[in-house]
Amino acid sequence: MGSLSDKEKQTMREMQDNLRADPFPLNTYTHIGKRGPRRLDGHLKASGKADYTMDVQLPGMLHLRFLNSPFPHAEITHMDTTEAERLDGVRYILRYDHPDLPSRASLGKVTGIYGDPPPLSRFAHFEGEPMGAAVAAETEDIAEEAIRLIKVEWAERPFNLDIMAAKDKNAPLSYPEMYPDSNYWNNGLFDVLIQGDVKKGFAAAEQVVEFAFVRRGHTWIGPERPCGVFRWKGDCPELWVKQQRPHLVKKNLCTWYGGVPMNKIQLHCLYQGASFGGWVQVPWNMGPLYCAGLVARETGRPVKYAFSRREDFYGQSMDDGIYRFKVGFNDDGTILAVEGTSTCANQIWPVFNPVNHLRENTRIPHLKGKIETVWVNKGPAVPTRCEQLPATLSLTMVFSRVAAECGLDPVAVALKNDGVEGHDMVHVSAEKKKLGFPDIDSLAVCVEKGKTAMDWDAKWHPPGAKQLPNGRMHGMGFTWTNEWDDSLGSSEIAIRIERNDGTATILSMGCDNGVDAENTYCQIAADELGLNLEDVHYNPQVDPGFFRMSPDSSTNLSVNGWAVRHAARILKQRILEAAVRPTAETQRGSFRAAFPDCAPEDLDILGSVIFKKSDPSESITLADFVREAGQSGPVTSTENAGFRWAFTEPLFAFSYHVQVGSYNPENPRPHLTRQAHFLEVEVDTETGEIFIIKAVNVNDVGKAINPMSCEGQQYGGTVMGWSRGKFEEMIYDPATGVMLNGNLIDYKIATTLDVDAPIDTILVESGMGYGPYGSVGIGEDVGTVMTGLIGPAVHNAIGVWIDDHPITPDKVLKALGKI
Amino acid sequence: MKNFEHFNARSIDEAATLLVRYGGNAAFIAGGTDLLGKMKDRILPAYPEALINIKTIPGLDAIEETDDGLSIGALATLAQIATHPVIREKYTALAQAAGRTASPQLRNMGTIAGNLCQDIRCWYYRATQNRFSCLRKGGGRCYALKGDNRYHSIFGGSVKGGCIAVHPSDTAPALIALDGTVITSKRTVKASDFFKVSVNRTTVLEPDEIVTTIHLPAPAPGTQSAFMKFALRQSIDFPIVNCAAAITCEREAVTRARICLNAVSVVPRRTVAAEQSMVGSNIDENTADAAGAAAVANAEPLEGNAYMVPIARTLVKRTILVCGPSPAEVDPV
Repeated sequence: MGSLSDKEKQTMREMQDNLRADPFPLNTYTHIGKRGPRRLDGHLKASGKADYTMDVQLPGMLHLRFLNSPFPHAEITHMDTTEAERLDGVRYILRYDHPDLPSRASLGKVTGIYGDPPPLSRFAHFEGEPMGAAVAAETEDIAEEAIRLIKVEWAERPFNLDIMAAKDKNAPLSYPEMYPDSNYWNNGLFDVLIQGDVKKGFAAAEQVVEFAFVRRGHTWIGPERPCGVFRWKGDCPELWVKQQRPHLVKKNLCTWYGGVPMNKIQLHCLYQGASFGGWVQVPWNMGPLYCAGLVARETGRPVKYAFSRREDFYGQSMDDGIYRFKVGFNDDGTILAVEGTSTCANQIWPVFNPVNHLRENTRIPHLKGKIETVWVNKGPAVPTRCEQLPATLSLTMVFSRVAAECGLDPVAVALKNDGVEGHDMVHVSAEKKKLGFPDIDSLAVCVEKGKTAMDWDAKWHPPGAKQLPNGRMHGMGFTWTNEWDDSLGSSEIAIRIERNDGTATILSMGCDNGVDAENTYCQIAADELGLNLEDVHYNPQVDPGFFRMSPDSSTNLSVNGWAVRHAARILKQRILEAAVRPTAETQRGSFRAAFPDCAPEDLDILGSVIFKKSDPSESITLADFVREAGQSGPVTSTENAGFRWAFTEPLFAFSYHVQVGSYNPENPRPHLTRQAHFLEVEVDTETGEIFIIKAVNVNDVGKAINPMSCEGQQYGGTVMGWSRGKFEEMIYDPATGVMLNGNLIDYKIATTLDVDAPIDTILVESGMGYGPYGSVGIGEDVGTVMTGLIGPAVHNAIGVWIDDHPITPDKVLKALGKI
Repeated sequence: MKNFEHFNARSIDEAATLLVRYGGNAAFIAGGTDLLGKMKDRILPAYPEALINIKTIPGLDAIEETDDGLSIGALATLAQIATHPVIREKYTALAQAAGRTASPQLRNMGTIAGNLCQDIRCWYYRATQNRFSCLRKGGGRCYALKGDNRYHSIFGGSVKGGCIAVHPSDTAPALIALDGTVITSKRTVKASDFFKVSVNRTTVLEPDEIVTTIHLPAPAPGTQSAFMKFALRQSIDFPIVNCAAAITCEREAVTRARICLNAVSVVPRRTVAAEQSMVGSNIDENTADAAGAAAVANAEPLEGNAYMVPIARTLVKRTILVCGPSPAEVDPV
């Protein structure tokens, strides 16, 4: 099929210009936006039959487990594996000093920022770190037992847990192998954001407040343990990966073991037992896979590595830190200047500034934000649904503080300051017009719907002003921000029409982590091709040579959506062109066209039937058009016997998309869509317990392609936000650096039984997003934004700020002066 | 998990004999909800060579109302107890306590005796791979004392040097409030005397001794009992504080009160001062609050757990209030 024609490229440039309103939406939607389409993964998952990487069992497979450091910072000085080697069932022990283990390997997502550490290190930089040795055995239990038999002599090093102490120039180094000069390592790397002049803003402001708050780190743990399977077939690696971005495996693996040609790597990416971003982006992910490949090569057997549940706990969110703010504002709630600093632990991507969202969706003229990233001896902190946590928490706290100081309804303060990059809504309206969007005030629409659903005007009150008959204090919280909708990603997607039945198969590998993205892409392809939804299928677990951004229903739908839509449009055109000309040429001539007297534009496809627009009775099903396959594939093999059965040329198209959008530092166009969230709580002032009474989420998703999936993200995000806001924190023993709550009873995650309050999920469709049809992502938004909302809601209840998140009963009682 | 031998005992004698045969390197197992977790996490220095299953001993799971009260077999599950109509009506505190223990799955597996005999939940003691050799393991010190003690005792320590781990049972305070008795393969012990802290022990049971029955006396006329629990999550959590009370009233005046807190001390803590403050009084907000204050008067919170004191006080107050002749609308905890 070759590359796109010049015309197709030109069309693609026009069709996928996401810096303005979608110039080519569909006139009618048959499947897009409809409720109730079947989930492709629904029955398999509900019946327990879906396969995950942890389920993979191969003949002769060995199980690989890793030594964990008992110390938060230490070096192995001697290791004796003799006793472990003698244990029945142990087949191989890989040590850090194995000659084939490199001192540096490509293991991460972003080479250079986190560095390229060794796959199996001699040094530990947090307690529990998998390092030093890996044991391959017939069972996981035997491997685990053998690990205990390894005798290790350790040289303990001084360690840091406290961020502010680690920042001190006299503090011991937390990670000298990678950062030999200082624990404060990101100085100069995307660390300062300046807009206007904050000094001017503070001087002009009627009020200035300063405050600080703490957010404790929370884990990324998911139901499926981190794992992977590695098998060599000759010199071809075959892998099964728990991986949010499977192409990353190929990208890194091709550099391992002296180099592996990309075309020899066979990859499987089965269902993912949760993927919140974190796991994919640290060298832990790839290091064990590197080791598994090495052991598989040495033993000649397939090797599955798996972490224990506890090992999965150590990775954490990027918002673990201390935030300090100075805000200047007028009595009417107009904010003039915000200066903020976030000092956070172990951020692998220290690029998300605490005032970033204030820049993206407010008219605040003067901003100055600074990131300080400090290495401490805890696990790595990476985007964990998601990297915007520090920025959205900061926005929530800044706006809630200003509203409280002014005695104003926080909804009114939000509307007053809505805008883009220091510009007011008049400017934003002009921008919308210029870019071809309707002049919809997204925040105003979201707020109106949310206030109605929450009965906000009747329920909201000044802080600490309402005690209920049951004795509890009643509180209302509100926050908002823009929908972030793009990850500067790229995507390749192809679609093929199958023989015999004319069904369509979407081709592109990605991870399926349960958000029903695959069905969403089928909805787009079905509408664009004119097929019935059941005639389109997508299995992203196989590697067809195309890769898309994943996971989806997050910011990545707006990237992949363009690619699948355009591939479908190209393919439809090719089908119609094929329908009016001889269906294929061979050495012995051609075959009669299905519509010999028509031009492609005379035809259309609907319900998987090609028909003549002027006379729909002249039609042929796509299945009849593509014809049945022959014995050897698409071409009939009866020609040698003198029969000639007509067949069609292969019908296939691909497209790709490179997103330009909101993560771009230059912000090529303003952020136009908004989200608004409302929370009602009650606080028991005798016990400090917080009761969630109701939540309302309103998200302007631009265009809801799969509304039920969008609502699922709202609901799930709210639950995740509550859990983080009320319970979740990783707790370390200050004396030893050992994580104390690395299990599912001591680390508190809200279960479904802890979520008994109603959650109203409301979608707004303004068409002003970066994706096709004006859509935006939603998957990361609600979980991220709702995490901080309990703070303002509790303040509204008790009239006292609690500046230490999560907000647990002890902190409530302390704020109330009860202890 | 490491392999172990497994025996299905058919009688108490057989179970005890098997235990002796392994010379202390064996353990009894019933529901296994605590033991298997301990083994899996390798929290103790020694790993049992054998588990002796006592679920196979017939007749140990019966719940029977008798002339003088209620007899509960040691192997009765928490789910059985939580839903048993007689227990719900007459021994309400126990049904409520069993119903608030753990999760539905664990209540279906866990037994009443297992809930009484469970090990402590201190996160230093429970750290995987026996990371902390603490006092309760015969080690040198209590790591929680100067560590993170947000879930530890507010009433001092035990064991030489001062282990401050609390007893985590939900049903224990209910049995003590209901004046229950624990019958073992060797003796009969009042529930209030059943708990005792020593190295590797949370009860008075000898290594080869098995709980066989729990007996509860029939409540006197005019008795109401109740249980309340404060935990971070409603769904599944050990208590930060729990409280059970059984209060008998005549013409609205309290004639007898038994009130027990748990998770606040190294063993379940019967709050005699609170009980005494209630006797002779009517149950109302003021008397209940005074009893709550009396219950925590001697509290000695640590650096991280002062918040447990007002919660314990509140739970005592609210538990008393729902035991009154006309139970007030009290927040469930």
